[in-house]
Amino acid sequence: MAYPYVSDREVRVLSRYFGDPMARRVDTYVERGGYQAAKKAFEMGPDAVIEEVKSSGLRGRGGAGFPTGVKWSFMPKEPTRPHYLLCNADESEPGTFKDRELIRWDPHQLIEGVLIGAFAIRAKQAYIYCRGEFFETTQVLARALEDAYAKGYVGKNIQGSGVDIDITVHLGGGAYICGEETALMNSLEGRRGTPRVKPPFPAAVGAFGMPTTINNVETLAAVPHIVNNGGAWYRQWGTEKSSGTKLFCVSGHVNKPGNYELPLGFPLMDLINDVCGGVRDGNKLKAVIPGGSSVPILTAAECDCALSYEGVQEAGSMLGCASVIVMDETADIVKQVRRMVQFYAHESCGQCTPCREGTAWMTRILRRIEDGRGAEEDLDTLVEMSRQMTGTTICVLSDSAGAPVVSSINKFKDEYLALIRRGERVGVA
Amino acid sequence: MSEIPFKNPGWAGNTGEFDLTEEQVRGDDLVGKRPVDGGHPSGAASYPYMVADRNPDATLFEGPYRERFEKILSRYPDKQAALLPTLGLAQEIRGHVSPESMDRVAELLELSPAYVRGVATFYTMYNKQAVGRHLIQVCTNVSCNLCGADEVLEAFLRYNDVEPGETTEDGNFTVIEAECLAACGFPTCVQINSRYYENVTPTDVPGIIEALRSGKAGER
Ligand SMILES: Cc1cc2nc3c(=O)[nH]c(=O)nc-3n(C[C@H](O)[C@H](O)[C@H](O)COP(=O)(O)O)c2cc1C
Ligand code: SF4
Ligand code: FES
Repeated sequence: MAYPYVSDREVRVLSRYFGDPMARRVDTYVERGGYQAAKKAFEMGPDAVIEEVKSSGLRGRGGAGFPTGVKWSFMPKEPTRPHYLLCNADESEPGTFKDRELIRWDPHQLIEGVLIGAFAIRAKQAYIYCRGEFFETTQVLARALEDAYAKGYVGKNIQGSGVDIDITVHLGGGAYICGEETALMNSLEGRRGTPRVKPPFPAAVGAFGMPTTINNVETLAAVPHIVNNGGAWYRQWGTEKSSGTKLFCVSGHVNKPGNYELPLGFPLMDLINDVCGGVRDGNKLKAVIPGGSSVPILTAAECDCALSYEGVQEAGSMLGCASVIVMDETADIVKQVRRMVQFYAHESCGQCTPCREGTAWMTRILRRIEDGRGAEEDLDTLVEMSRQMTGTTICVLSDSAGAPVVSSINKFKDEYLALIRRGERVGVA
Repeated sequence: MSEIPFKNPGWAGNTGEFDLTEEQVRGDDLVGKRPVDGGHPSGAASYPYMVADRNPDATLFEGPYRERFEKILSRYPDKQAALLPTLGLAQEIRGHVSPESMDRVAELLELSPAYVRGVATFYTMYNKQAVGRHLIQVCTNVSCNLCGADEVLEAFLRYNDVEPGETTEDGNFTVIEAECLAACGFPTCVQINSRYYENVTPTDVPGIIEALRSGKAGER
């Protein structure tokens, strides 16, 4: 087997060359039809590219799911000032590990997507902001970019089209919050990575005060395929509201964890049982977090849902970046929730009091419960804190921190109560 | 904890049932070969490596490092934007970013020393104090945690007989707990200097440490 676990139910568009070491080479990429989409886009013109992406229904893969073509159309049509495209490769949401795979296996696919995105929003400079820990990954990307420059696929007068676009790989300094789009802009500008108050929105005042668009790696990697094959082609997969394919990052207690590219709307239980080879050791499924640590947890009974933006929402959670964290009957819910909240406490940028204080206090209360020193009122306190931390801050990190807490208290209250009443932990051998 | 039943070809070389070599998975022919001067300017800000071989007293930004710094500057509309990459460069050379290094960076980028300190201390990757030759960062976040990350952290600490954040007496290893490293499907993920080790279990720990100690793990 060539790549960690593939499944015949996959539709490998973006991940087609995962596991193929040759795919990183510019020559291979071009032989396989690479950089033709960029050329085609330059001939179509920015507005036609935006229309095509709109018609594909592609939604942002960074978590929020905002339609990409619509986002691009917010950019001024007649640039009087420089425009910037920022590619968000800060991937740090616990459970998410797709962007790194996209970059390290197929860097040219991303570079081509960045070129088309930049062209569509009339930017001449694009930055790929990689999280600081991605040393190895960014080396692969930087080498690919260097090769693309050498062959005239990036830079001045690209492929003789008269279009100039420069791309720069930038490395962050280690901070989850820099994945938030306005924090990313601040960080890129050499500031602390603190989110900005919106409005103004990035399309009006973004990086360096200029109109800016931010897109996730996976979003941009899908763009060359859409330009090559058309929006209607992309819509052959997925649902009306969630078109196309999506990389699902499955981690935790399954037999075959990994990245699987599947049509949106794929049944969650099939993903776990069929694609991922079932829950490990033949254990029983206990819970699933379907979209990374920032979304509400689902009980096993709620997992009978479709993995589309709307399907997961109906089930009571969010698709987020489709980072499916699977927990079997041995999982200690309280400990894992505490671990996630501890993460948010560590990563809060500290600007807003509800977030800074709330995440820290939540961690302390959860630790107390975990250690068997909790009280039943603590659960009400946690829920009330989460309420006060939602919608009251500059960015949604604060809201996110409450999601696992409140949902787990609602759905796994007996585990909390067992710890509180008897100092006893459920599930741990 | 049950034994982790899967061995993906992570970057630790657990290629098991798959037909790719570790080098192929890691892209070794592309990683680690880039010139000190930064190569093409588009990638100059995408360093640094966290190298084991560094000198806390080295002069900053001379020779090829100076070239890399100039290339970095050329890619941004203003000097301030070069701050993060420049701090990274200082760390690559000296191993950590001391107040004195920060002052030097401030001078070079025409920023105030206080501003640079404020930014440098915001980010976790700039070591404010010297660390061991190998900085071992064990992810203990949720996906890794479900698969036994706490035990892996414990194994690293016990094998080296250190507390979190402490450096071994020989100056070789510092072990810390890290947040999610974006390799959650290959638990436990451990970053050692620039390199990711994946699918690490407690039993792998002595082998990794000894390979690093003897230089067999490769310098990066
Ligand atoms: C706290 C926080 C962290 C985020 N982290 C990331 C991230 O690591 N990567 C990412 O692509 N988007 C992240 N986002 C979402 C971005 O703000 C932004 O919506 C996204 O990059 C837009 O790209 P898209 O439209 O292609 O999805 C984060 C958002 C928040 C609030
Ligand atoms: S909500 Fe938290 S992370 Fe977001 S801006 Fe406020 S303090 Fe910073
Ligand atoms: S949780 Fe360990 S790498 Fe993501």
